[in-house]
This record gives sequence, structure tokens and C-alpha cells, in this order.
Amino acid sequence: MAATRAVPRAREIFNTLEYGPVPESHACALAWLDTLDRCLGHYVNGKWLKPEHRNSVPCQDPITGENLATCLQAQAEDVVAAAEASRTALENWSGVPGASRAQHLTRLAKMIQKHQRLLWTLESLVTGRAVREVRDRDIPLAQQLLQHYAVQAHTQEEALAGWEPMGVIGLILPPTFSFLEMMWRICPALAMGCTVVVLVPPASPTPLLLAQLAGELGPFPGILNMISGPASLGPVLASQPGVQKVAFCGAVEEGRALRRTLAGIGPELGLALGAESLLLLTETADVDSAVEGIVDAAWSDRSPGGLRLLIQESVWDETMRRLQARMGRLRSGRGLDGAVDMGVRGAAAYELAQRYVCEAQSQGAQVFQAGDVPLDSPFFPPTLVSDLPPASPCTQAEVPWPLVVASPFRTAKEALAMANGTPRGGSASVWCERLGQALELGYRLQMGTVWINAHGLRDPAVPTGGCKESGSSWHGGLDGLYEYLQPSGTPARLPYLSENMNYDTFGLAVPSTLPAGPETGPSPAPPYGLFVGGRFQAPGSRSSRPIQDSHGNLHGYVAEGGAKDIRGAVEAAHQAAPGWVSQSPGTRAALLWALAAALERRESTLALRLERQGVELKAAKAEVELSVRRLRAWGARAQTQGHYLQVTELRGPVLRLREPLGVLAIVCPDEWPLLAFVSLLALALAYGNTVVLVPSGTCPFPVLDVCQDMATLLPVGLVNVVTGDRDHLTRCLALHQDVQALWYFGSAQGSQFVEWASAGNLKPVWVNRGCPRAWDQEAKGTGPELELRAARTKSLWLPMGD
Amino acid sequence: MSAYNPGTELDLSWISKIQVNQPAVLRRAEQIQARRTVKKEWQAAWLLKAVTFIDLTTLSGDDTPSNVQRLCYKAKYPIREDLLKALNMHDKDITTAAVCVYPARVCDAVKALKAAGCTIPVASVATGFPAAQTHLKTRLQEIILAVEDGAMEIDVVINRTLVLTGQWEALYDEIRQFRKACGKAHLKTILATGELGSLTNVYKASMIAMMAGSDFIKTSTGKETVNATFPVAIVMLRAIRDFFWKTGNKVGFKPAGGIRSAKDSLAWLSLMKEELGEEWLKPELFRIGASTLLSDIERQIYHHVTGRYAAYHDLPMS
Repeated sequence: MAATRAVPRAREIFNTLEYGPVPESHACALAWLDTLDRCLGHYVNGKWLKPEHRNSVPCQDPITGENLATCLQAQAEDVVAAAEASRTALENWSGVPGASRAQHLTRLAKMIQKHQRLLWTLESLVTGRAVREVRDRDIPLAQQLLQHYAVQAHTQEEALAGWEPMGVIGLILPPTFSFLEMMWRICPALAMGCTVVVLVPPASPTPLLLAQLAGELGPFPGILNMISGPASLGPVLASQPGVQKVAFCGAVEEGRALRRTLAGIGPELGLALGAESLLLLTETADVDSAVEGIVDAAWSDRSPGGLRLLIQESVWDETMRRLQARMGRLRSGRGLDGAVDMGVRGAAAYELAQRYVCEAQSQGAQVFQAGDVPLDSPFFPPTLVSDLPPASPCTQAEVPWPLVVASPFRTAKEALAMANGTPRGGSASVWCERLGQALELGYRLQMGTVWINAHGLRDPAVPTGGCKESGSSWHGGLDGLYEYLQPSGTPARLPYLSENMNYDTFGLAVPSTLPAGPETGPSPAPPYGLFVGGRFQAPGSRSSRPIQDSHGNLHGYVAEGGAKDIRGAVEAAHQAAPGWVSQSPGTRAALLWALAAALERRESTLALRLERQGVELKAAKAEVELSVRRLRAWGARAQTQGHYLQVTELRGPVLRLREPLGVLAIVCPDEWPLLAFVSLLALALAYGNTVVLVPSGTCPFPVLDVCQDMATLLPVGLVNVVTGDRDHLTRCLALHQDVQALWYFGSAQGSQFVEWASAGNLKPVWVNRGCPRAWDQEAKGTGPELELRAARTKSLWLPMGD
Repeated sequence: MSAYNPGTELDLSWISKIQVNQPAVLRRAEQIQARRTVKKEWQAAWLLKAVTFIDLTTLSGDDTPSNVQRLCYKAKYPIREDLLKALNMHDKDITTAAVCVYPARVCDAVKALKAAGCTIPVASVATGFPAAQTHLKTRLQEIILAVEDGAMEIDVVINRTLVLTGQWEALYDEIRQFRKACGKAHLKTILATGELGSLTNVYKASMIAMMAGSDFIKTSTGKETVNATFPVAIVMLRAIRDFFWKTGNKVGFKPAGGIRSAKDSLAWLSLMKEELGEEWLKPELFRIGASTLLSDIERQIYHHVTGRYAAYHDLPMS
């Protein structure tokens, strides 16, 4: 350890020119802990809460093991108290003008500025991270976040008219992340008028200090409440009355478990999972700079996770030589030393890294470790793993801190296949000096953030999120705001948990159907079959289901779709996806307009179908007309997507891209059988998704009529319609690992099942919780909320300079 | 300084594929200053070491024998004796690495150093310093005359025209001729990086200069608008490392111009240490071209020893 090395005199140093210790005094952190009698409780309603008879855990210096303080562990009743305080504060806080909230946030930013030394020494002391990183990056970024969102709050009434704050937000934080992760989420939530309960892991005093600073500002004490306790209290927090959203960041498996636990509980769930990043180094890269990018990504105490490194084979040797030489100059030591690159992360992170290294070695990998690392303590050296066989378990697993796992690739195409071939979709950087190739890779990487020739840049104005198993919530930028907003007038999210829900059997079996008499009525015979891969097909079950009209007479039969049909439909949609994504927005718009024209031609048939289901003819005609308008409206909006952002610390633009979700499954509501179908379909197609769709259960015929037009107008496989038992089809879709998003409008039970089952591949879901939606209203049918649902954001950073 | 860089045959493939990403290099340059620092004894020792890297320089139109003589004296006794004693460093013979003057002042400097009884080499700028816009013949003649006058090191400036028009062979040939004209003197090649247009050109010019046999590559003359900056230095150091990896020859590095504070000099030392390693931290391979830096270092040493900040008159002028 640096501090205990014998101190050489100037003469000796003159000869060796070695680095010495540069200790940062942490006296002020200890003094702050003294003011709390070295006992940390919770911070609720502007006051410290130290309930009696609680378990406590020690807060230790991660290097010396010295006890710095004890931390009380929360129990359920403490969570109740915090949620209560947030609920009380909400009325006041969400009611004040945005300008006042802006002022309050600005004051908090100034408060942080005034006490920054306390913040950075405390954070570095307790977490073991290099003080340089906390001081030069985290603290300034925390202030920038507050200022950025203060501006957003100031203009909220104008810029975000039609939106209102969601309510009380629950935030669950993992033990290994910096306090900055909390700031990314509480700043937009507070700015928009939400109040927050944060569940911080035990022994993390920095968030508590921030809560205290915020609480001491005065008039709004209860807006930020901090509870220190285990993550197992998460479900308790989520089920508190008034909690409308739970934001979680942490490990993938924990997120998955939370998704399952919270199914049907009520609040929305925003997940940001995993910490691995990716770096792709092509043969035209500035290799030395890319090596610095690797250092930034893995060995700078910046990212909480490890790095997967893909190197083009032609520059493999050169890169390895440079990387290994660079690793030799890294310094690791006490976080509070001003001249180290890496601090420590505690015993758990150490063991995780050690286990990965041992397993990788046993699977045949080469492990290279280097750097100036103290031997006598929990320091883990910078580690480079290579030659890992492609199919070994370690290749699939998430790379832990502070490891870099390198693999070669031959062509850019292969690099994309490798990079996109993992369930993770967080962040990546591309190192490449050829503009065309760099953009190609940047656009086609399935990631939330891509940096070109840089790694790890962050800015409050840029949305950061992920796709696939990295979760689908965003922080930063406008997308970060919408996480905490809802369209005005949205009813409160209440639990809709079904007591007798059995996830194993829901929708498992299809009740058998029998012939139900002759088809009657004036309307033309509806088309029959599943619309899959551009044509009508017989269902795998070779059976049909009768559909009655509003008088109880048989209207017609639809095909009884099943698991195999869903599989076929999803495959067809996947095959159509690359073609549809690469279509220009103009082409998409043209096709939607052509479909609108076709609908117009079919108006009388469609109206008759609706009429037989009990809709008055006038209303039925109006529904068809409105459907036509919706198609045209979404077609027009397909042309205006994405924009670019100007960022403070970057020369060059950041592109905010809106990318399709992929293969999107839509279970249409029973109500508004034509309008809801058209609204959802047009929205999905406008944003480049391909669709597997289950039409209204009571009135599927108008959809099948439209399929006849889609067969001639749309590319094969773009839209697939499967009829049948809705619960069964929902089950198949929700459990399908290759369905990339799911919208469900049906029963409360079905919604709960969808939420539960989505944990499998963590697909984003949109469920109606059994509540009907007024599709004829503009806000509900074409509102901005829908646009947010239909695509995901990707940030592409393009630094410039020569 | 003993070893010479023999150079190599011109091999344009060494520079044809090179990529330098400017924004990434700028970020690295920012980081390097924040990531390493030294305090207390370490700072004092590093600063004394920095003194031994200085090419104490005067390059003014109004240079006369008297101020050159004063400069030479300061080169021999850069830090007050009592301060060195307090640090137990008085017997380390701490002097600056060289004295650097215009060709016409070489005689004065050699004489003054001889009078002071020391062996500090005299370096002379040459080849139409600082613009290099004179005929090759006179530029070569300038080197020969300076060496005759006793200069042990020649700081030549390259012909920027050749870089900006991509005439790398011609540049190589010119520097080769400079090398030959230097004879026993060491050749330090000034790239005038502020006028090369891009970092990629800086790398290429560095590599050509080393292939042609430069013992040092130097950032700038001190007369351009942009002088020694970290991004440029990073690119040059990477070129030096690449040249070493290819040929086994170590070429020295000399930043010059704009390095004024003791803190700056520490950052330069740690930059060398980080990019090339301790083996480059000796006067044979690292120089800092400066005129006012020395007095700031002396002030910092004064503060380290006494715990007080020095008044202007506490330290001898240079």
C-alpha cells in the first residue's frame, strides 16, 4: 500500500524518479460522520431517522477494514414512513410552478459546489474509487445534471404541456455503482415534479449526505427520502400506495427477479441492467488512442463493469503489444491517493473478478496482468484475458470489473455479428478512421450508446439507455424526462394483482371448439386463415373457432392459431425486418398511405362488419374514417424522427437516433376492433417495426379484411396476423425469447402474465392492466406517448477534429 | 551525451498507414495532467531532476556577450547552494543540460562556460532558424560554422514547405545532409509542429526526422504561435516509441516554448514517464527548452526548503 512504503529521501527519489503518495485528507468526511455520532440512519422528510431495534451493518474503509460508521438497516415500516413522506410532499411539490422547482434544483447544485470536498472525499473513502474520478468527473457531472434539469423544469409548462408528473418514484440502487447513478435518475424526477424514495444499499453514506444537503435547503423537505437497506425491500417499496414507478439499476438477474416479483403490483418498472461495455477496434484505428479508450473503459474507475474487446485480426499483434505496454504503467492504490488510476471495489467485486479469471484459465484462456499494484490487500490488477474459446461459458458471461476480454474478428460484418450476438445491449465504442465504416458500425450495433473514437463520454443532454437485456429505460436528455412523466389525466396505477394467478397454467391449454351452426347474415363471407408471411395459411391445429355477432348468431369462423403458428409468424417477421428497417421514412409513409386508400375503398364492408358486432352504422362509418386518418397521420409522422444534440464538452454532434424495437407483438383490444388495430399497427410500422398481431377476440373480421389489402401492398412478412385463443397466443408471444417487444391490451390477468413473462428476455412491454382505452381520442390514439413506445433511442457520439 | 542515432534507410511504409485521431489525443492530453502528480520530497526531487533537463535558452535579437555570460553562470549554478545543501543534494553537481544560443553567440557561450570551469555543452540553433526559408547551402554552412565555433549540439529547423507539400523523400535527404554537416555534434531536429497543419503530419515528420538520424526531435522553435503542447508531444512520443520498437534506437525528445512554470515541468516529466518510461528520463534523451522556467523551479525549491514563498530579490537573476 502506498502509504506504508518507506519514505525515501530526495536523493533517492532524484535517482529513481518514482511516484510518491499523494494522500487526499479525508478529515472532513470523518468530521461529518462524527456529527452523526458515526451512526447512519435514514433521511426522511428532511430529518435523520434512526429507529430503534434495527440491525446494523458496519461501513468500512475498503482497504484497512477500519470501521467508519454503523448503518441501520431499514425494515418495512421505515419504507412505509418514507413513502408516506414522499406522498405528502408530492402534492405541494408537483403543484409549484416549474420555475420554482428550477430554482430549488439550482440551489442544490450550488450546495454541492460548496461542499464538494466533503462529497468527493467521503465517496472515495467509502467506495475505494480513485478520488480523481470522483472529483474531476462525478461531482461536476452531478452539478451539470441539476442545472440541466433545472432548465427543463423552468420550461416545463410550455415545452411539456399535456404531460404531468407520475407521482412518487421508487429508486433501487445497487451496491457497486457510484452515487452518480442516483443523480441521473433523481434529477429529472424531481425537476418534473415527482418525489422520490431511494433505497440505497447498506453502508453508502454519500447518497445520504446528498439527501441531507437537499433536505437542509428548506421548503420542500420530503421530496427526496433516503432509506438504507437491502434490495429485498424493493417489492415492499413498490407496493406502497402512491408509488407509480420503480427505477432499478443493477445486475441482470436481480432485474429479472424484480420484474417477475412486480408483475401486477402496479407501478411501472424501469430497468437499467448490467455494466459490461464493448470496444470494437478496426484495422484503420488510431491504435494508441484506442488503447487509451480501453484504459478509460476498464481501468479508470469510471465504469462499474468490465470490457469486451473485439480487435480486427490484422492489427491483433500490434494492439496487444501496445495494450500490454500500457497496462504496465497503470497504477492502482488507495482511492484517496491523487495519482492512482484504479482504487478498489471491495471484497465482492474482487471475488467476482477472481472467479472469472480462474474459470477463464480453466477453459483455456491466456491471462495477462500488469501494473503497479500493491500486493498486500484487496487490490485487483488490470487484467487482459485472451484466447478464450468462442463457445466457452466465460465468453457468454458478463465480463466483470476490471477485466478486458479480447477476441479477434476478421471483417466488420463478423464484428457486428459478434457484438450483436450477446444478450447485452448497453454501450459500445467503435475505433475506426474510415468515416463510412465507422458510421455503418455505429448505426448497426444494437446498443443504447455508441461512441465513435471515444469511450465513456457522458452528458446530461444525451439520453443513455440500452436494449435487449440491458433494460429499456433511459436517463439523460428528454428521454430521461419522459421516464417520469405521463399524459395528463392518466389514472393512478393501482395494483391489479390476481390472487389466483398461476403463471404455469395461464393460457396453456386451448378450450376445444366445435361447429356452432351455419354462417348467416348479409355481409360477404370473411376471409379465413392466419395471415403469415404475406398469405393466408391454415392453422397448425387445423381447427377453427366460431365468432358470434351481437345477436348471438354465428358470424363466421376464424382459424385457431397456436404455438407453432406464432413461431412461424415471428420467423416471418424477423425475415422481413432488415428490409423494412432499411426503407426510407418516405417509403414507409407511402405504404401507410396506400393502405389508407385501400381501407377507404373497403369502407362499406368494414362498416358492415362492425355493425354486425353491435356498432351503430353511423358510428361504424366514423370508426373506419378515423382509422383512415390515423394511417395517414402516422405515415406523415414517420418522416420526422431523431435529431442531433449539441453537447458541452464535445466538439461535434451527438445523434439521437430512434430505432425500431424489432419484431413487435401486438395483442389488440376487444374494444374498437378496427380503430385500435389500425392505430397500433400504423404506429408500429411508421417506426420501422415488423409486427405479429393478435386481433380483437370478439370482432377479428375487419382485421382479416384489411389483411387482403396488406397481402398485395406490404412486403411479405411485415405484418402477420394470428387469430385464436387470446390467452394462449399471449402466452406464446410473451414467453417467446425472440419477440423484441410486446403490447398487450386485454384482461388484467393477461397483463400480469405479460409483465411476469417478459422477464425472460426483458422485452419492453406495454400493458393496459385490464382498463379499456378511448382509442377515438386524439391523445390516446395518436398522442406523443405512443411515439415514445414505438421506438428506442440510441445515442451516437461523433467527436470531430483534425 | 554519447550515443548517436544512426538512422535508417528511408521506408515510407512506416508513415503511410499511420492514423492519428485528434480528439482522442486531446482527451489523453487532458487526462495525463490530472492523473499523475507528485508532492513534498517527491516534488522537490522531481523539480531538481527537471533542472538537469533544461536547455537554458536565450534566443533574442538583443543578446550580447554579457547576458550570454550571465546565462552560462546560471546554467552552472541553477539553484542556490544553501537550498541544495538543505536537501542534501549539493554534491550531485546539478547543472542544466545545455545552454542554447544563436550561432553568432556560440563563441561567447563556449568562452563563458570554459571560464566557469564546466563541461556543459553549448547548443546552437541553425538552418535559418526559425523559418528555415533560406537556401539549403547557407543552411548547411550555418551548421558547419556553429560546430567550428564549439557547439556540441545543433538544433536545426525543418523545412515546413516539404512537409506541407508531402515531399517526404526531400525532407529525409535534407535532414540527412544536416546530420552529415553536424559531424561530432548531436542533431536536434525542430519540427515546428505549430505549422505542420495536423497531428498526422507531426507523426510523419517525426518518423522521417528519426529515420534521417536525428538524435532528438523537438516540438517547436518558440517563435511559432503554438508551441509545445501536450497533444503534439503525445504524438511525437508515440513516434519515438514506434521507432524504438522498429530499430532498437532511442531518440530523445525536447519540448520547447511556453514551458514556464514548475508545475508544467512536472507534468512534462510524468508525460515522459507514462508514455516512454523511466529510461527516457535522463538528459541524453529528454530536454526542456526554456528560459524562465528555471527561476520558477528555484522558487518552488525555496518554498519546499523554507516553507515560505520567496520574494523577487531572494533568488539571483539569470
